[in-house]
Amino acid sequence: MLIQILNGLVYAGLLYIVSVGLVLIFGLRRVVNFAHGGFYMVGAYAGYTAAMVFGFWGGLIVAVLVLGLIGILLDYVVFRPLQNADHMVTVLVTFGILLVFEDVVQMIWGADTLSVLAPYPFDGTVQLGDILFPVYRLLVIAVAIAVALGLTLWLRFSRAGLYVRASSVDALTTGMQGVDTEKLSLSVVGLGTALAGLSGVIASPLLALSPSMGSSILIESFIVVVTGGLGSFAGAFIAALLIGQVHNLGIVYVPNVASMLPLLLMVVVLILKPTGFARSYS
Amino acid sequence: MSNLSMAAAAPKVRTSTTPPVLVVVGIAVALVGFVLPWLGLPRNILSLLTSASMTAILATGVGFLVRQAGFSSFGHAAFYGGAAYLLVLMSVYTGLSGEAVVLLAPVIATLAAFALSFILLRTQGVAFSMLSLAIAQALFELMMRWRDLANGEDGLRMRLPREIFGLKLSFFQKADTMFLVSWSALIIIIVGLVLLSRSHFGTLTLAIKNNEERARFIGFRTLMPRAAIIALSGLIASIGGTLFALYNGYITPGLLHWSLSGEALIIAIIGGTRSVWGPALGAFLFVILRDFAGNYTTHWQSIVGLVLIAVVILLPSGASGAVSSLVNRIRGGRDV
Repeated sequence: MLIQILNGLVYAGLLYIVSVGLVLIFGLRRVVNFAHGGFYMVGAYAGYTAAMVFGFWGGLIVAVLVLGLIGILLDYVVFRPLQNADHMVTVLVTFGILLVFEDVVQMIWGADTLSVLAPYPFDGTVQLGDILFPVYRLLVIAVAIAVALGLTLWLRFSRAGLYVRASSVDALTTGMQGVDTEKLSLSVVGLGTALAGLSGVIASPLLALSPSMGSSILIESFIVVVTGGLGSFAGAFIAALLIGQVHNLGIVYVPNVASMLPLLLMVVVLILKPTGFARSYS
Repeated sequence: MSNLSMAAAAPKVRTSTTPPVLVVVGIAVALVGFVLPWLGLPRNILSLLTSASMTAILATGVGFLVRQAGFSSFGHAAFYGGAAYLLVLMSVYTGLSGEAVVLLAPVIATLAAFALSFILLRTQGVAFSMLSLAIAQALFELMMRWRDLANGEDGLRMRLPREIFGLKLSFFQKADTMFLVSWSALIIIIVGLVLLSRSHFGTLTLAIKNNEERARFIGFRTLMPRAAIIALSGLIASIGGTLFALYNGYITPGLLHWSLSGEALIIAIIGGTRSVWGPALGAFLFVILRDFAGNYTTHWQSIVGLVLIAVVILLPSGASGAVSSLVNRIRGGRDV
């Protein structure tokens, strides 16, 4: 049972890193990035290739940087010019980007699944009670906690974090107060996609790499973001914890209908509280 | 501001009325469809057109939801594939007659759409898209994993009697005869939707789409009409799925996958959602071009992605909008 809960935490950690990237982007641009799963996948593949030269950790850094750059480009080329268009237009454009990315990844790396080994010194196992548990999974949990902690501190105590929170509530007013929201969203979108890249690399030793790996985590992270309340950081954290557990326990105990459980959880939350755990800004 | 958006709403309704030339062309196209099986087309082209007409029905349902309620569904495969699965599962597991199975499949799928609409309507805008995607994908995973029920990835063959509705089952499984069935269904759906969108219900739902709060303010209930639009859109998609299952006699989870939902939405947008017939036009263009492109490139997905981006930015009214404004320009009329 302890092992199952830990496994749930591992998945929750991955979900959280992906979801919080979505939340960051949504806060600034009011757009849900459908290409986010694609970025997660590209991050995993970029990390895979860069790891051949620089090792796993070098690959991780390269992937995060590459994805950050892609995010900055995305904001500059897509989100900024389209900020006055209907939000659905932008969402559809990101969907188009997802299709192109999947195709390009398949062209470069092929459609076969690739696997990555857990990096040294986290490739062993650790004794928990009477069961052996892979150290790498504990590392994933630690990374997720570090991301959550870092983001929270940054949002609460830095000036940039204050601006991000203010823009998430009302970007126009924040802009009128003299905050350069354009420049801010450039870096926040970049941070959001960099997190997608980070989670992609972190996930690669756990799950196999395939061009379709992005869509399954994207859909569960949508459930997380909607359940948590669109645009809410704390909501995404709690929802990721819950849905990670539900997802994992479902697969273990009721494998036939496991996919329905996170959805049911979301439906119950939406019926009780239409805005999710937190206040919704949509 | 309020007067302005009222004024802006009015011409939107008017642009949807097609010029008479297009009506004539539309009737001609509909009639040509009915003689198509006798024109001696190669077998593969006819079966391509038959599946295109089913995709057209699905896209019409998706496009109608965008047009009439402003919701972009990323999950209509749930109704299309859902009805197909219902048909096959009922034909295998229940003792119901073939007719009952064929009729019940879309009815149950529509009831499910109606029930789901109350959950979907608790969200707005992009959350609707995310939620519809999540629901459809959960259904996909369910059918993938629950191997005892529907044989998972390998799919399931339907078991219907040799004769339904007084016709041989093979009538529904041959391209030339099935094309007539699905073409008729498509025409009936499009004509029905055109009539519906000109009725009181049609204008009311457009008003709700433009400003839900104001529609409520002037005394209309806004929940039920929107739920009805979602259910209707689900019904259309499930008719497409029912025909698909009948035609192929076989279902796989691919019918529920998000890529099919996404494809339907892309088709609707490329075809143009401002007119009822746009998505159907988009479906025929899409299916025929995909078949054509298949001979030259393996990067169809990239092409679709790039075309989608180009259409939503440069040509928001899609192919049907382009046709309409072209016709208007030729007639020397005002560009809509």
